[in-house]
Amino acid sequence: MTETLTEIVIDNFSDARDAYRQKDLRQGLYDAGAVVMDGVLVNLHGDEHRLRRRLENRMFRRETFEHYERDLFPGVMEQTLVPHVAAGRTELVHFGHELMLNLAAVTAGVDRPQGTRAETERLHRYVGYFIEGATLAHSTQDRAERTAVIAGQLRAWREEFLVPSIARRRSLLDAVTAGGAGEESLPRDVLTALLRHGDELSLADDVMTREVAFFLLAGAHTSATAFVRTIDHALSWVAEHPDDLDRLREDRLFAQRCVHETIRLNPSSPVGVRRALADITLRSGVHIAEGSKVVIDLAKVNRDPAIFGDNADAFDPTRTMPDGIAPFGLSFAAGMHVCIGQDLAAGVVTNEDPGEGHLTGLVPVAVQRMFRAGARRDPENPPERDKTTARPYWSSYQVLLGA
Amino acid sequence: MALLARVDKDVCISSGKCVADAQGSFEFDADEIAQAVDGAAALDRARLIAIARTCPSGAISVTEDGVPLNLD
Repeated sequence: MTETLTEIVIDNFSDARDAYRQKDLRQGLYDAGAVVMDGVLVNLHGDEHRLRRRLENRMFRRETFEHYERDLFPGVMEQTLVPHVAAGRTELVHFGHELMLNLAAVTAGVDRPQGTRAETERLHRYVGYFIEGATLAHSTQDRAERTAVIAGQLRAWREEFLVPSIARRRSLLDAVTAGGAGEESLPRDVLTALLRHGDELSLADDVMTREVAFFLLAGAHTSATAFVRTIDHALSWVAEHPDDLDRLREDRLFAQRCVHETIRLNPSSPVGVRRALADITLRSGVHIAEGSKVVIDLAKVNRDPAIFGDNADAFDPTRTMPDGIAPFGLSFAAGMHVCIGQDLAAGVVTNEDPGEGHLTGLVPVAVQRMFRAGARRDPENPPERDKTTARPYWSSYQVLLGA
Repeated sequence: MALLARVDKDVCISSGKCVADAQGSFEFDADEIAQAVDGAAALDRARLIAIARTCPSGAISVTEDGVPLNLD
């Protein structure tokens, strides 16, 4: 493929969805973040991607999400929240990452044998470096210098957390192979799947390291970011619509709608990027020459008035969506790289009365719990933006808890 | 009017959304790739189209009397 400087920006919903589903557009968002992202699932293409995705998707099925949302997460939420409620306050950015990391570690397959807060805090710090690595394209820092620092942290994390996690799983897999243990003894996590199918996937050690690090950062960071942003939007909404405070505390579906609307307005990455492996013509007639860089401007796509109406820029959890359009727009992408944890984070989408078995996702569970705990902005400590990245992250968001 | 669904096995990424949303009409084959059971003809029109539209990878196509439906 010949690299050219041609860049095509897509800013309407229809072209964006079409582009995401094109087989000849490969992932291009993480080219600057290779230190963490080289060879990981979301960066693969073609047969290599399909093989690994099919294998890893088995850990991201509805029954697993149901177990997480109903059985695992409520306890994790309470355990994480207790000291903050006792203190009468918390900082949401750190709290959200700590909370979501507790689950992401289970999903990725990263053990914390000590089970202490100090151990989780160390893992949290490592994940902070991985997040920085994955988003280096938007960094405002010296990228070469940061890449070297992040590579060192990845190696340190591997020695402290990943190597022991691999050893425990290899031992369990050996026991199952020898007939000394049953399948039920194996963890249902990404690392176990990678170890079990290592020959099929031909994964080098460094790729396996980045793959598990990726699931850790993706699981923790995207949900934590959505968590903080939703609380920010919802606090503003209930200030204007006081009757909806009780609704938010009692109606999980309304909390889910707040999360969907937040994710629509604030996609985890403000752009999707693809590289054309061949000449492509979208249904609208837009031509993309081989070698072009395609930038999908999600901020505009998700506010396309042709889809979301004249008030597309506004946060409105009572919004009615057209048929066939997800309430979070294309924030989870579409096509081969659609977010593997979408239903886990934001639940199942429905326009009907979903009944008892409906999964709302973990972020709505967490947001609702915070409002039940009395979360409100701390007037003495206003929220602050993260200046180390061009992405619109909060670096600090203090809230008071309790009556 | 007979609606029939088909899963493109080269495109399916085994997300399992169709299998979870319409058990009995979609299932996994031996390679854990989704397939439509009897073309998922047991589903009513609106539900089948909704499931095809929400397939993450766009692997599900639907025909009506042999003519492909536009799912956009």
